[in-house]
Amino acid sequence: MTITSVRTDVAALARDVVKIYGRGETAVRALDGATLSIPAGRFTAVMGPSGSGKSTLMHAMAGLDTVDEGQVLIGDTDLGRLSERQRTLLRRDHVGFVFQSFNLVPTLTAAENIVLPLTLAGRRADQAWIDEIVAMLGLGDRLRHRPAEMSGGQQQRVAVARALAARPRIVFADEPTGNLDSRAGEALLGFLRHAAHELGQTIVMVTHDANAAAYADQVAHFADGRVAGVTRNEEK
Amino acid sequence: MWHLIIRNTVARRGRLALTLLAVLLGVTFVTGSLVLTDTSQRLLDDQFRTAAAGVDLTVRDAVAFDSAMGVEVERDPLPAEVVDRVRAVPGVAAATPVVRGQGLIGVGGKTIVPAGPSLLLSWEPAPVGPFTLRAGRAPVAEGEVVIDAATARRHRIGLGAEVTVRAERTERLRVVGLAGFGPGEGLPETTVALVTLPAAQRLLALGGNSSEVAVVAADGTDVRRLRSAVSAALGSGYEVSSSRDVAAASAAAAKTQISSLQVMLLALAAAALLVGAFLIANTFSIVVTQRTRELAVLRAAGATGGQVTRSVLGEALLVGLAASAAGTGLGVACAAGLRDLAGVFGMTLPDGGLVVTSRTFVAAFVVGVGVTVLSAFGPARRAAAVAPVEAMRRSSADHLSGRAGWGRTVAGAVLTALGAAGLSIVLAGPGSVVVLGEAAVSTVVGLALLGPAVTPGLVRLLGRPLGVAGVPGRLARESAARSPRRTSATALALAFGLALVSFTTVLGTSIKESTARSYTETITADYVVESARNEMLGGLPVHVYHHVSELPQVAVASRLRYGHWKDGQSVEALTAVDPVTLPRVTSLHMVAGRLDAVAGGGVVLAANVAKERNLKVGDTLAMTFSRTGVQRLPVVGLLRDRDAQALSTGYVISLDTYERNYREDVDASVFVKVAGGVSGADAKKAIERALADAPTAQVRDQAAAVAGRNATIDQVLGLVSVLLMLTVLIALMGITNTLALSIIERTRELGLLRAVGMTGAQMRRMIRGEAALVAALAIVAGVGLGVAFAAGTVTALGRTTETTLTVPVGPLLLVVAVAALAGLLAGLLPARRAARLDVLTAIATS
Ligand SMILES: Nc1ncnc2c1ncn2[C@@H]1O[C@H](COP(=O)(O)OP(=O)(O)OP(=O)(O)O)[C@@H](O)[C@H]1O
Ligand SMILES: [Mg+2]
Repeated sequence: MTITSVRTDVAALARDVVKIYGRGETAVRALDGATLSIPAGRFTAVMGPSGSGKSTLMHAMAGLDTVDEGQVLIGDTDLGRLSERQRTLLRRDHVGFVFQSFNLVPTLTAAENIVLPLTLAGRRADQAWIDEIVAMLGLGDRLRHRPAEMSGGQQQRVAVARALAARPRIVFADEPTGNLDSRAGEALLGFLRHAAHELGQTIVMVTHDANAAAYADQVAHFADGRVAGVTRNEEK
Repeated sequence: MWHLIIRNTVARRGRLALTLLAVLLGVTFVTGSLVLTDTSQRLLDDQFRTAAAGVDLTVRDAVAFDSAMGVEVERDPLPAEVVDRVRAVPGVAAATPVVRGQGLIGVGGKTIVPAGPSLLLSWEPAPVGPFTLRAGRAPVAEGEVVIDAATARRHRIGLGAEVTVRAERTERLRVVGLAGFGPGEGLPETTVALVTLPAAQRLLALGGNSSEVAVVAADGTDVRRLRSAVSAALGSGYEVSSSRDVAAASAAAAKTQISSLQVMLLALAAAALLVGAFLIANTFSIVVTQRTRELAVLRAAGATGGQVTRSVLGEALLVGLAASAAGTGLGVACAAGLRDLAGVFGMTLPDGGLVVTSRTFVAAFVVGVGVTVLSAFGPARRAAAVAPVEAMRRSSADHLSGRAGWGRTVAGAVLTALGAAGLSIVLAGPGSVVVLGEAAVSTVVGLALLGPAVTPGLVRLLGRPLGVAGVPGRLARESAARSPRRTSATALALAFGLALVSFTTVLGTSIKESTARSYTETITADYVVESARNEMLGGLPVHVYHHVSELPQVAVASRLRYGHWKDGQSVEALTAVDPVTLPRVTSLHMVAGRLDAVAGGGVVLAANVAKERNLKVGDTLAMTFSRTGVQRLPVVGLLRDRDAQALSTGYVISLDTYERNYREDVDASVFVKVAGGVSGADAKKAIERALADAPTAQVRDQAAAVAGRNATIDQVLGLVSVLLMLTVLIALMGITNTLALSIIERTRELGLLRAVGMTGAQMRRMIRGEAALVAALAIVAGVGLGVAFAAGTVTALGRTTETTLTVPVGPLLLVVAVAALAGLLAGLLPARRAARLDVLTAIATS
């Protein structure tokens, strides 16, 4: 599947998205008219109180989940019109995702984990690109290790490398530094910003940490299933 | 405590369901076998008790033994004066001569050949006769017959119809009545013709003699004392027995065949249960692993190790009880089906109401609950070893499902090596079947212990081809290698089933091939005439030989008879031959002495029999015959083993010697050499024409004769293979179960794979690949073991009989293909389930 879009400034767009969990008395409106535009080639942070719907929106925009109302676009592709299989292929080819933890397949080595989406697609990895990411993330000496043999920070860096490996249109990271100490966290955030600025990679990151959000180009503030506002950080 | 256990078991019912099913199937098998054999035995008891119900004493000619190998011996008839002598004994109310023999019923030009006997009896009204009239009247005149109602119904024979009865003589008789037996319409697989005493005597050429005398005691007479009195009056040439004992002895003889079926069925049930035990142990160990966190919390909250162990064993107990209850019910329901199955493979069992004894219930529950609880014992102990700190660990699944301990590996390696050594000793020469059995047990236990240590390597080796299938294939391989204990237990269960299947296949084929080879090499006759019925002694009427030998198209006809004799307690078989004509239809090789010397009353032994008994030409062998008691026969020659095998036994006497010592008068085989200048087809046609009055006789060429000899092996092999499939089925459920459980355990990992873009199809391929890999492992181990031990058994057998190994490639490939396919099928369900996992829920699962 290919995405037929001319390059626009908007890499992904959520428009008036509603997501309801459960029904009747216990129904929860996790997203209640959320609208968020992700500019291409930028690093966007999403902040907000716990339970405000950040992860839900992230999953919806990454094609991991469907929405009840509203529209989600990646490039020009309306995710609502895709079948489950098409969404899978879209994720594989055009979306990178970094979870808070448990990002790696335990039986595969770091190197294998990094190229996993490519191998699943039967595509050859762009070795120069992979080498570049690996070098930037400082993973050169860890490639043959399995996840169990790596620290949490190393594992998260491998996950980031995997998210970038297929040159996706957009990378989502849901609290990627949640399990890391501040040094490891800062290194990772630094890399994400670098990837956006130097490599033109669109990145969306959920975080609770204002210091982490400070690495981003813009910060979307979330409350009660909606984006309450977006602030731009000045270029440092 | 029990409250908690029950809640736990119910909550995990999905995970325990297949375990339950495995135990259930095993218990069903056990119950079915017991119910079936109990029923058959009870029916036989009833049958013979009915037959003797109205009679107190039975007088027969004295014999050294009643029956051999499930066949009652034939006795000399009693002269008429015996009846008078019995009547003269005070206390005898009635003494009735009874005639019993074989007589085929024919109707409309066709002879009825039942699978069982064709009885011809003298009619006696109750209480002496066991038959009661259902329609018409008793036979009073010479030309009249009463037949059993079952046969009449099956073959539409009505009152007034004409039938032929073919015994020593053949007569046309008019049906004047239909009789039932006890509550039934007849006897199972039997035809019965009842005629007047003189008619029976004439048909069976008995003159004025009778088969036995039925004695009814006068009212108030002590039967035991009467028995002594009658016995004293008749002398030692006659045997006076209580009719109840006679019935019991007859039933016991008939039951010997059922008891060997019972042993076989229970052995197969045990195999199924053993495989089930692997599955149970595996399930519980996975469940315990998955519950490590929960168990640790329990421990941290103050539960003792003992309490944890008991809670796991309690779950096993519940599963065992539920499965046993369901299995017992199902087993009773399946018993009739099992009887039909045995019937399909030529083992006819009496038909009638099912007998469910309390012993069956006890056995089913002891076995079902016992196997479940014992299998859960290891996992339960491991559960108790979970330390409270495990609760704090992030993921403890990995290290618990884990690597093998050193002690276990070493013990496994030693046992496996011992087993291999035992097998090599047998293959190399000196070892016996006993050594082989020990080696087999040692190997299986050894492999079970060694499994976890060698599985990762084997899996990666066997899984090479999966790598071609890309990431899903490689992940499948790694996942199988990652939990070696689980993989090896699952694979071993299937391997065990496959080993049994390939073992029986190879062994059966080898025996059949060897029989065929020794027969075709030894017997040079063009045709052999044999009974189509699979009777122990052959059952060919004597006139067949006479008719055939008189044909101008036949150059030589030579006949063979079989007989049983006793050597102390053990029953042996012998072959009686005509030493003059036999060499013209066979090519026999004497190791010592001469075959024609048996004409002088001696015996020729197979070489290995002579060796075993330490006898040489010139020694004597004491043989106990039923009719004549102990006879000392000189050993006059030794026959090559292969030739003895072609003649079916290791002891050869002359037909004259046979006639002196046996009352039995049926031939087993008549070998025919076609006269010069006559074509085979013409000769065959001529023989067939000559056999018109012997409906059970068949003309067979060599291939058909070999097939006839191998028919029993085919039957047993067929039944065993079908029943072993049940074991394989349980093992396959093990694969499904293990995979399903490991999917639960790997939910997050699978969710992650889906999140990064693995399609549902790829996921299914991955899980199916893992199932196929386990099956492949099992196929390699199972077929390897089966063939190896079959080779050992054939070698061990080859020392006493002429048996050489034949590996049937076709059937084995079929086993492999079926197992591989079944492995793929076993993966289908878990694969579907894995592909259906919701990505987000999977990721959210902690
Ligand atoms: N599978 C689900 N079923 C029912 N409710 C859900 C489900 N997933 C999320 N929710 C609810 O939706 C709301 C939004 O959840 P979400 O995970 O998006 O919050 P979040 O902003 O990511 O919070 P946090 O910062 O704690 O991660 C919450 O109220 C949550 O309870
Ligand atoms: Mg969240």
